[in-house]
Amino acid sequence: MDTGSVVNTLKVRDAKDVEEVVRAAIANEQPLEIIGHGSKRGIGHAMATNAVLDVSALNAVTSYEPNELIVTLQTGAPLHDVLSLIDAKNQQFAFEPVNTAPLLGTPALGTIGGMIAAGLAGPRRIRAGGARDHLLGAHAVSGFGDSFKTGGKVVKNVTGYDLCKLLAGSWGTLSVMTEVTLKVMPKPEAERTLLLRGLDDAAANKAMTAALGSPFDVSGAAHLPKSAFRAKTEGLGDLAGQGEALTVLRLEGITASAAHRAGSLRELLAPFGTATLVEDVASAALWATIRDVLPFAASGALGAWPVWRIVCPPASGATLGAQLARETGGDVIYDWGGGLIWAALPPKADAHAPAVRARSNAVGGHATLIRAAEDVRRDVDVFHPQAPGIAALSERVRASFDPKTILNRGRLRRDVAA
Amino acid sequence: MAIMMPASDQAVLARRAGIIAALRAIVPGEGVIDTPAEMRAYESDGLTAYRQPPMVVVLPDTTEQVSLILKYCAGQGIKVVPRGSGTSLSGGALPLEDGVLLGLGKFKRIREIDFDNRVVVTEPGVTNLAISQAVAHAGFYYAPDPSSQIACSIGGNVAENSGGVHCLKYGMTTNNVLGCEIVLMSGEILRIGGKGCENAGYDLMGVITGSEGLLGVITEITVRILQKPETARALMVGFAEVEAAGECVARIIGAGIIPGGMEMMDKPAIHAAEAFVHAGYPLDVEALLIIELDGPKIEVDELITRVEAIANGCGSTTCQISTSEAERNLFWAGRKAAFPAVGRISPDYLCMDGTIPRGALPKALARIRELGEKYQLGCANVFHAGDGNLHPLILYDANKPGEIERAEAFGADILRACVEFGGVLTGEHGVGIEKRDLMPEMFSEVDLNQQQRLKCAFDSQGLLNPGKVFPTLHRCAELGRMHVHAGKLAFPDIPRF
Repeated sequence: MDTGSVVNTLKVRDAKDVEEVVRAAIANEQPLEIIGHGSKRGIGHAMATNAVLDVSALNAVTSYEPNELIVTLQTGAPLHDVLSLIDAKNQQFAFEPVNTAPLLGTPALGTIGGMIAAGLAGPRRIRAGGARDHLLGAHAVSGFGDSFKTGGKVVKNVTGYDLCKLLAGSWGTLSVMTEVTLKVMPKPEAERTLLLRGLDDAAANKAMTAALGSPFDVSGAAHLPKSAFRAKTEGLGDLAGQGEALTVLRLEGITASAAHRAGSLRELLAPFGTATLVEDVASAALWATIRDVLPFAASGALGAWPVWRIVCPPASGATLGAQLARETGGDVIYDWGGGLIWAALPPKADAHAPAVRARSNAVGGHATLIRAAEDVRRDVDVFHPQAPGIAALSERVRASFDPKTILNRGRLRRDVAA
Repeated sequence: MAIMMPASDQAVLARRAGIIAALRAIVPGEGVIDTPAEMRAYESDGLTAYRQPPMVVVLPDTTEQVSLILKYCAGQGIKVVPRGSGTSLSGGALPLEDGVLLGLGKFKRIREIDFDNRVVVTEPGVTNLAISQAVAHAGFYYAPDPSSQIACSIGGNVAENSGGVHCLKYGMTTNNVLGCEIVLMSGEILRIGGKGCENAGYDLMGVITGSEGLLGVITEITVRILQKPETARALMVGFAEVEAAGECVARIIGAGIIPGGMEMMDKPAIHAAEAFVHAGYPLDVEALLIIELDGPKIEVDELITRVEAIANGCGSTTCQISTSEAERNLFWAGRKAAFPAVGRISPDYLCMDGTIPRGALPKALARIRELGEKYQLGCANVFHAGDGNLHPLILYDANKPGEIERAEAFGADILRACVEFGGVLTGEHGVGIEKRDLMPEMFSEVDLNQQQRLKCAFDSQGLLNPGKVFPTLHRCAELGRMHVHAGKLAFPDIPRF
């Protein structure tokens, strides 16, 4: 085992090493921070530990079977390399994992383990599901120091509890995943994006609702209000040049079908204006911009502002987003047909948490403070506070994996003492 | 009964009259059933080889009643078995002699249809098909379509994570539910998720889905609805060899085409189905594929052409393409009637449900043939070919001594083979009691202990549906114990933190 350049970083070589480290940590009652590349370390509460379990050397591709639509990977495998691997077979992770590097201002890194543990899905979430829907099986080491497996290597499986669902989005607080099997899907032959200009948030939400309620199989529905362009944003090309709000709807599939559906959807959306068409490469760049929240990039004009990620019922999006923007003087971007709001709000000690949480709760949504300075995160709950019964059940679930709170202690909750 | 259920608690049985009275105080009138004749309807589910009358049946119609029943039972140490429509094929709703059978059949109301958010909020006793029917006027439907959709309840679908022929493209239940109201064994009522795409915190909805009624009793569900595809057409393709059909499936997927459904039948299944519904199936082929493409007409027409070319390239011997809805439905009629069709050629049959990697299909079918010879029993195979989910139907006669035991041993060997080939014990029917004792084929004791610890987080007394899924029951205190090897650290180069 290589103890790495930082004295307390344990760079494990295999699952056995992970077991040993966790068992030692249990014996010493010493919490561990679990990292891959550490690209999302800035999300969540600071963990009061200097002992780091680094899985980045567990980086093998165990197997890739394009015809079975599955890939099995060690969790330290670099996401970028894996995307290249499956892209060569014209396949993709259909949930469009978010690259958080531009938003957080970190180097362009990230591992498969981090992708699953964070579970941040992009625009196609509305049609293809999230990371949780694409994780078919996992090997992991629990806070008991035991390697266990869950799920399998086939797309259809109901054998035993689906612990994969819990691991996806658990931010490393349940187990240290060492190997995962993921579903891959064919890349669409073509993509067409319809673009409407100048809609206010409410009208845009209605247009997106109409599109998503149509039979045209829309795979992306986003709205960028005018104010979102106060920063120069990559990937938009000339689209943002006119200083108008952009509402965009994506259609993917075989070329003839995407083109046909774009035509039909344009007719359906006629009451909202005349939509223009963006194709293939330009369309892909546009959706990458939305996926990675580039208007709020750390290098841009709003780079110092705290950023919230709010999930809500899609039809409530515009009301919630416009209220927040008005009350705080902040900016918002809508994805998922209104069901996902990225909100960059002016700097404030509490990052406007009371307003964000109250507004979110009012519509049955929840908000995560995805970017904020460490001193803000010390005083504000990063993850949405839950109803007491759900919070208690979640804590019992967590303890069923890690009773001594060895793994990423305190990352999700401020009240967990280090 | 070959499967051992947890020993009955004689102290509970001795208190039966008092328990019934207490339940009547919670659910008045005909909501409590305690006569042997009336309870007979509840003594088994779709796995009819196993029967057990419950101690008492209770049919609440409000969440508050469910909560009071569970709280009472938890306080008294009484086991509870939840039940939807009773269509489980794995025995998930098999009653316990000393248990309360909690039926959700009175939860029949759709609470809200929200087209703007594309969701339906429903009570668990509503049938799968009724949800689609309730939104059909606006062009919507609920995608997962288990074969039993006319009868099975959405609550049961969530408990079992039900699939269906279209789940290759549209996902299983777990990919189509957003939230629920659930009552824990303690009686606590919780709301999880809602109309948004994702829940806050751990994905509790995800782990409740497919938990086979062991974690809680669901009293409300929020499901996603989709717009119906503009059109659907099907190809019916015959092959002289199973291997060629398997290759065809692989090439279709390899070409980036995800059909709405892709089903395979082997020769015995084709013959049984054709004799039953006269769908025009070719009788001289070894394997038949039904491949359905759905979407806009222009897309479907194009994909039909591509799939036909792939099938030709794989040496198909027959290929029919539907030109009307009637014809498409006829193609499906035989497949959808495959179970009853097999029921006509054999006094009894056992339906298995393993999943294998698609590529392992030819060797799996060869193994099944070998096993059939070994056990001297026939087997017809229907197969959700697109996602590798195999349904061997083992033919036997329960009246012949020893045949059911042979059929069960045959089935167990098939499932062991599925695991051996890299697959799993069950693709969509659930573990229940049927596959419970095979769980160690797939999972180690450590794996199963972790699953049971999760159960403890929801039901610390182990009173909800015990005897299902897990071959060995452990007390929660025992599972939670840590084995700390302080002072005996094997790795000297681990820094002392």
